Amino acid sequence: MNYNPPTPVERVLGRWRWVRCLVVLLVILVVGYYLIFVNQYVVAYRGNLEQFKYGSIGSEPVNGLPILVFKALAFMYRDELGPGGYRRFGMLYETEQSELPIGMSRRIVDGVERVWLNCAVCHVGTYRINLTDQPKFIYGAPSNNLRLFDLLKFFLQVGADPKFSADNLIAAIDSPAVGGNLNFFDRLIYRYVVFPRVQAALQQLSQRLSFIDRQYDWGPGRVDTFNPYKAIQFNFPMDASHITTAELNGSADFPSIWEQRPRDGMHLHWDGNNTSVDERNLSAALGAGVTPVTVDIAALKRIRDWIWTLPAPPFPVPSAIDTSKLPRGRRLFAEYCAGCHGMKNAAGQYDYDTNRYPRLGQIEPLDQIGTDQDRWASYTQDFSAAQNMLYAGYPWRFTHFSKTGGYASQPLDGIWARSPYLHNGSVPTLRDLLEPAAKRPDKWYRGSDLYDTAKVGYRSDGYGAAKQDLFLYNTSVPGNSNMGHEGKIYGTELSPADKDAIVEYMKTL
Amino acid sequence: MARAMDATFLHEDNAAVIFSPLKFRNLEVKNRLFRSNLSGMFDEYNGHGGHARLNWEEKFAKGGVGCIISSYTPVAVRGRILIRYAMIDNDDKVPFWREIGKRVHDYDCRFLMQLSHSGRQQDMGGVENMFKKALSSTNQTDFFHGILAQAMTVAEIHEVVEQFAQGARRARQAGLDGVELHGANGYLITQFLSSGINDRKDDYGGSVENRARFALEIVRAIRREVGRDFHLQMKINGVDHNDWLYPWKKKGNTLEDTLTICKMLLDDGKGVDSFHISSGSTFPHPRNPPGDISIVNLVRWYAGLFPSGVRTRFNYAIFSNPIGGPLFRWLWRFRRGKIIEGINATYAKYLRDEIIKIDPSVKFLCTGGFQHADVIADVIRNGSCDGVSMARPLIANNDLPHILRAANGPIRQKECTYCNKCLLNDLANPLGCYEVQRYDGDTFDEKWESLIKEVMSVFEPPLYQ
Repeated sequence: MNYNPPTPVERVLGRWRWVRCLVVLLVILVVGYYLIFVNQYVVAYRGNLEQFKYGSIGSEPVNGLPILVFKALAFMYRDELGPGGYRRFGMLYETEQSELPIGMSRRIVDGVERVWLNCAVCHVGTYRINLTDQPKFIYGAPSNNLRLFDLLKFFLQVGADPKFSADNLIAAIDSPAVGGNLNFFDRLIYRYVVFPRVQAALQQLSQRLSFIDRQYDWGPGRVDTFNPYKAIQFNFPMDASHITTAELNGSADFPSIWEQRPRDGMHLHWDGNNTSVDERNLSAALGAGVTPVTVDIAALKRIRDWIWTLPAPPFPVPSAIDTSKLPRGRRLFAEYCAGCHGMKNAAGQYDYDTNRYPRLGQIEPLDQIGTDQDRWASYTQDFSAAQNMLYAGYPWRFTHFSKTGGYASQPLDGIWARSPYLHNGSVPTLRDLLEPAAKRPDKWYRGSDLYDTAKVGYRSDGYGAAKQDLFLYNTSVPGNSNMGHEGKIYGTELSPADKDAIVEYMKTL
Repeated sequence: MARAMDATFLHEDNAAVIFSPLKFRNLEVKNRLFRSNLSGMFDEYNGHGGHARLNWEEKFAKGGVGCIISSYTPVAVRGRILIRYAMIDNDDKVPFWREIGKRVHDYDCRFLMQLSHSGRQQDMGGVENMFKKALSSTNQTDFFHGILAQAMTVAEIHEVVEQFAQGARRARQAGLDGVELHGANGYLITQFLSSGINDRKDDYGGSVENRARFALEIVRAIRREVGRDFHLQMKINGVDHNDWLYPWKKKGNTLEDTLTICKMLLDDGKGVDSFHISSGSTFPHPRNPPGDISIVNLVRWYAGLFPSGVRTRFNYAIFSNPIGGPLFRWLWRFRRGKIIEGINATYAKYLRDEIIKIDPSVKFLCTGGFQHADVIADVIRNGSCDGVSMARPLIANNDLPHILRAANGPIRQKECTYCNKCLLNDLANPLGCYEVQRYDGDTFDEKWESLIKEVMSVFEPPLYQ
């Protein structure tokens, strides 16, 4: 006999207690699931510059690496990378203690903090005037240091490396250098969830990007914008029978991203394949690892608004401008250059008026401009058709991409900070660019950020840079030609004094 | 006094109406003022009457009402609503009720016993009922507090009918002046009468005639026990308004349903002598007692009901949260409507008009917020009823009849505010008026002291002096 039976009310409540518990449990699970696996956590920086440097644009959910894995890889492969870790790839750390380089953002996805790239990784340049200077950052300038080719290859090799195992990864994460301090459950997660997923993702990427083994090294400050894009976003066939050597080697210099408002409507990208700044931004974000599903539109808009009016940086050593040559330089620039590139007006503002400068932001046909065709060739009509399907169903669906017949002429605001020159970065200085192609350096070093204030551009003789940072740029390699932009109308037949005057003037742009 | 002067009649006219005797078939009451059924938990736990109740009833007799209707008096312990209410379930209770009768009669006041059975509306069943589900017409759980119910078998129905009959017999034996069946406000008889609650498929459910069968059997059984010369009246809802809390619930009985039931209970002149009109198929109900609801007091005292129902904790969660509480109060006031004083008068008039066509000797009482002479006289004059019953205004002013003889009502500060704090405090504290603002004193503490003194006066004089 039960001497302590429940009352009828207690019996009913007892019955419901299970239901209630289940409901509460279910609610907790749903909320927990939402908070951990649906909701993502990002840092929104107060300042636009900080946001630009470290704010997430949504590249992490699909392509990101857990931050501990990212740091552990630098430790595991310290023999290959050297003590500087990812600095080996030209990534910029603001201080010795910085946890992440500029251009790397974090986002907590599925409860794991992941890191990957943002706009700043490709759009921050550095320079030094004197050998002993600390590098100065130029935000919004083309990166002159980033070796994306090597970085990519490194990750792909990690995926295939037998040394990259769960045991080694966990040991590296727990090492004092990384300081992961994984507990028992963390280790289980890293062993059975994180490691297999990272390895599988790297291996899959390696498969997709297998063509890069057939490419020539992009070198520092350059990127093959569209071939990885074709493979990753669209799974285009990239084997030798489907792609020509010219199309395969279309690496180009990173561009500057300041003063975007006047550029809207101009032909953007080196070959001018899009006239919308917003579409170009979204497309470039895809290159940083964003996907149409994970893109953080709000964060991207913040960057867009910032670069919309970001001013071009002034020449860093005003004393190095020979003002006596400026009037002559200005007159010659107006005569030879401004029609295609615009110039500063009497008030000292850069004039982007396409009514005044009818060729500004327009396509120069290939046979006219004469520069290396491979970058142009790497962007195909098929590819533009595929691009125009991206973001289908969203208001920001791409509609502006098209194949052009040449390269676009651009405003030259802040041109001093955009060395080396031409779309493929084949000419180290402005002064060299005013020489006929035959007189331009044919083999020279990229990778030094020591600045030549006379010729305007980074030094190309390798002076002032560590050996491992230097990259011998060979203009005879496919895609690297320094031909074009030459002849009477391009000023390459002017007297040296005239050319010097134009260069002096261009320092002021 | 402004009210009296605005009205067509002078106060003297109103007082003449109110203080004229009311003759029932078997009972004469000296005026038209009845104290409606109400009580605190004043008695012994097992249902024996307590000393405080003697004091309690005497207060009102002394105050001048013509007749007192006892508080809810269970005919069986299974049918109690609250613990510590004097019952009439056994002959051993007769001496106590005889003493009550004596005390009241000393003031030329009549006393009716309200025979009651809670059914499923058993707010605190006590330890006696702890392991039993409440008896009802239905198995459906009470929708307000979630009190569990079981549908009575026919045998159980007969047993309860007999309990009512024996209760009436004991009332007569105790020398009381009559009995009232509590057929209103959601208790067992309502649970049979109401189309919103009764879901039986047998002879006691379905048509209104079937639903009224239980009440009619009680009336006949009582008449069998007490004869035809003992006052028997029926308290009944004019309209059920069973959907007040959850709009998707059935509305319950309409005025026409009630009329049909009343006609049946006349039983060709052998049935009830009068009707006492209320409304609302639960207790409490926004229409009964009509007024406000004090959420603070609700939250303070509701917890005592926790073990009683399966929805009490849910209700408490609603009452005690900053959105649910005010929302409930809004619903409470919205469902009541604008009228408080005389809220049931139109129902009473409709029923009375029809019934006196059949039998003019049947009288009608009406309850609901009465405390002003002009309103009371008006409802009597216009034929809504023959007398009114009052509860809260009499708690506020035990001597309200004396006041009404001289004035239209109490002075403003002393009026019953219909705050219903008495109702909520009754769950844990001695019944009395808990509206602080009504009491004398310059500070809250002084007023509260006055309040406590008044509320505790029910225990004076003490049993042993």
